[in-house]
Amino acid sequence: MLISIHGLHRVYQVGDQEVRALDGVDLEIEQNEYVAIMGPSGSGKSTLMNILGCLDTPTQGSYLLKDHEIARMTDDELARIRNQEIGFVFQTFNLLARADALHNVELPLVYGGVKHEERRVRAREALTLVGLGDRMKHKPNELSGGQRQRVAIARALVNRPSIILADEPTGNLDSRTGEEIMMAFERIWTQGNTVILVTHEPDIAEHARRIVRMKDGRVESDLPNAHPRSALAAGAPA
Amino acid sequence: MNLRESVGIALGGVRANKLRSFLTLLGTIIGVASVIAVMSFVEGLNRFVTDKLLNAGANVFQIDKYGFITSQEEFEQAEKRPDVTLDDAQALREGVTHAALVVGEAEGNVSIRYRAHVMKGVSIHGRGPGYDAVDDIQIAQGRHLTDIDDRERRAVCVLGPEVSDEIFANVDPLGREVRVGEEDFEVVGVTEPKGKVFGVSQDRFVSVPVHAFQKYFMQRGSFTIAVKSIDQSSLPLAEQEARNIMRGRRHQRPGQPDAFGLTTSDTWLQLYHTLTGGIFVVTIGVAAISLLVGGIVIMNIMLVSVTERTREIGIRKAMGARRRDILSQFLVESTTLSLAGGVIGIALGGSLALLVGAVSPLPASLSLPAVVLGLVMSTGVGVFFGSYPAVRAARLDPIEALRYE
Repeated sequence: MLISIHGLHRVYQVGDQEVRALDGVDLEIEQNEYVAIMGPSGSGKSTLMNILGCLDTPTQGSYLLKDHEIARMTDDELARIRNQEIGFVFQTFNLLARADALHNVELPLVYGGVKHEERRVRAREALTLVGLGDRMKHKPNELSGGQRQRVAIARALVNRPSIILADEPTGNLDSRTGEEIMMAFERIWTQGNTVILVTHEPDIAEHARRIVRMKDGRVESDLPNAHPRSALAAGAPA
Repeated sequence: MNLRESVGIALGGVRANKLRSFLTLLGTIIGVASVIAVMSFVEGLNRFVTDKLLNAGANVFQIDKYGFITSQEEFEQAEKRPDVTLDDAQALREGVTHAALVVGEAEGNVSIRYRAHVMKGVSIHGRGPGYDAVDDIQIAQGRHLTDIDDRERRAVCVLGPEVSDEIFANVDPLGREVRVGEEDFEVVGVTEPKGKVFGVSQDRFVSVPVHAFQKYFMQRGSFTIAVKSIDQSSLPLAEQEARNIMRGRRHQRPGQPDAFGLTTSDTWLQLYHTLTGGIFVVTIGVAAISLLVGGIVIMNIMLVSVTERTREIGIRKAMGARRRDILSQFLVESTTLSLAGGVIGIALGGSLALLVGAVSPLPASLSLPAVVLGLVMSTGVGVFFGSYPAVRAARLDPIEALRYE
C-alpha cells in the first residue's frame, strides 16, 4: 500500500473557535492509481491535500506513506519526504519568476543534493518529456499558461516521486489548454506514476479512474470511475 | 546548499537596483571606509615613528633642563632649575659606565650666507663628538665633525643637503667658507638627505662643534645631553647612573624631584600612543554608529525582501527546502550585500588614505590587517543583522507562504 490513512483529524483554532477541517478520514491509495479528490470549498479537500503533500501534519490519526508514519515527523523530515516522494502541481503554477524553466525544474534536485551536472541532465530530460525541450532558457513570464504548467509538471516529475499531487491544475487555464494538461497527467499515469488530482470541477475529475468525494471533513463517497474521460483517446497526439 | 546560487541572487539584486543598493549599503560603506582610512593613517604614522623618531635614537635618552613639559606650571617650575652645561656632559662621560656615548648638544637659528646667496631661518646644531652615531646621520660628501674639531673649537661646519644645494648651486662646497650668523666657518661635509617629517625638512641645518657653538652663538643657556647606552639591556642602568650623577652635581637630597629633565624614547612613545589611542577611540565610535545604522538598514531591506518573496519561500519549502536551507539562503544574501558594502568601503577608505598620503605630508599606507578587519566587520554586520530576517523566513509556514499574494 502506498498511502494508508486512518482516523485522520485536523482541527484549527480560529480565535476561540475550533474548526474541524478533517473529522475522521480513512483512505487507502495503491501504487499507480489515478485518483481525484472532489468536494466543495470547506469540505476539507485542501486540508487533506496539504497533509497528503506533507505540508501539514494531522492533529490526530495516522498517515502512512510507504510504511513511514508522517503524522509524527519533524519539519526537516517532512521537508525530506516532500523532496523525495511528492511532486506538486499548483493551480497558480508557483514557478520562481526570476529563474528560467531549466532552473525551476532543477529546484527539487538542488534540495535533494544532486550534483550540478546530473541536475542539468535530468532537468533537460523532464522538460523534453513535457514537450518543452526548446523552451529551457525561457523565464515564466516568457511562457504561456499551458507552458508554465508543463514546466511545473516537469518539476514535479524530475525527482521521480511516489505521488504527483495536483491542486486544481487547470484552474487558471482555458479549457483547450486544460485538456492538454490533463493529457499530460494521463500520460504520466500510464507510465506508472501515482496521480492525485484535487479539484471541484466534475469535468476534470472525470479523467481519474477513482473519485473520492469529501464533505464536512469526511469522505462522503469513494468509487471507481466507470466511464473515465480519456484525454489521450479523445484528443490530439502529444 | 547552493552558495553560488544565493550569492548570485544577492549580487543580481544589488545590480538590478543600484541606487537602492547604494543607499542600503551607505552606512556599512561609511563605517568600513572610516576605519580603513584611520587605520591606514595610524599604520603610516606608526611606521614613520618607528623609522624616523625611534630608530634614529635607539638606546638613547636625553637630559636637559626642561624634560617633558605638559603644563604652564611645570614650565615655570623648570625655569628655576640650573642650566645643563657641557661640564655636566663631561661628568656623565666620565661617570656613566654603561654609556657608549655621551654627546652635548644645543640648537638655534641663524642666517647663512655664501657670497650673494643668503638663507635665513636655518637650524644650527652644536654637536659634541659622536653625534652622528646618536642621531644616525650619514655623510654624503667630506667628513663628520670630530673630537679634535670640538676640542680646538674649530670654525668648521657640516651642512644639510638642502642648505648646501641652495647656497652652493653648481659649486663644490667642501673647503669653502660660509658666513654663519656673524662668523666664518669652513665647510667640511654635507650629509645624506633625510626628507621631511610632517612637512618639515630634516635637511635644512648647519652643524658645528658644540664648543664652537657655545663660543660663538651661546652667551648663556642650557644644553641637551644625549646618552647612548651600550645596548638595550644596559639602558635602564645607564639612566640610573646618569640620574645619580646629575642629582649629585645639583646637591639634591633623596626624595626631592629631579632638578633636570630625563626623557627616553619611551616618553615620546607614550605620548604618541595616547594620541593615536584617542584617534582610535573616536574612529571606533564613528564606525560603530555607522555600522549599527548600516546594519539596521540592511535588516530592514532584508525584511522587505522576505515579505516580497514569501511565495518563493513557500515554493522552495514545498520542493523540499529545510529551515536551514532558507536560513542560509537569506544569510548569504545579507552577508553578500554587506560584504559588497565592505569592499566598496575598503576601496573608498583606502583610496582616501592614499590620496591624502600622496598630496600631503601625512604618511599613509593601506595595511593588510585593515583590509581584513574591514571584511570581517562587514561580514559580521551582514550575519548579525541578517539573522533576524533569515530566521523569520526560515520559520514561515509553507502553506501560508504558498497562499501569500
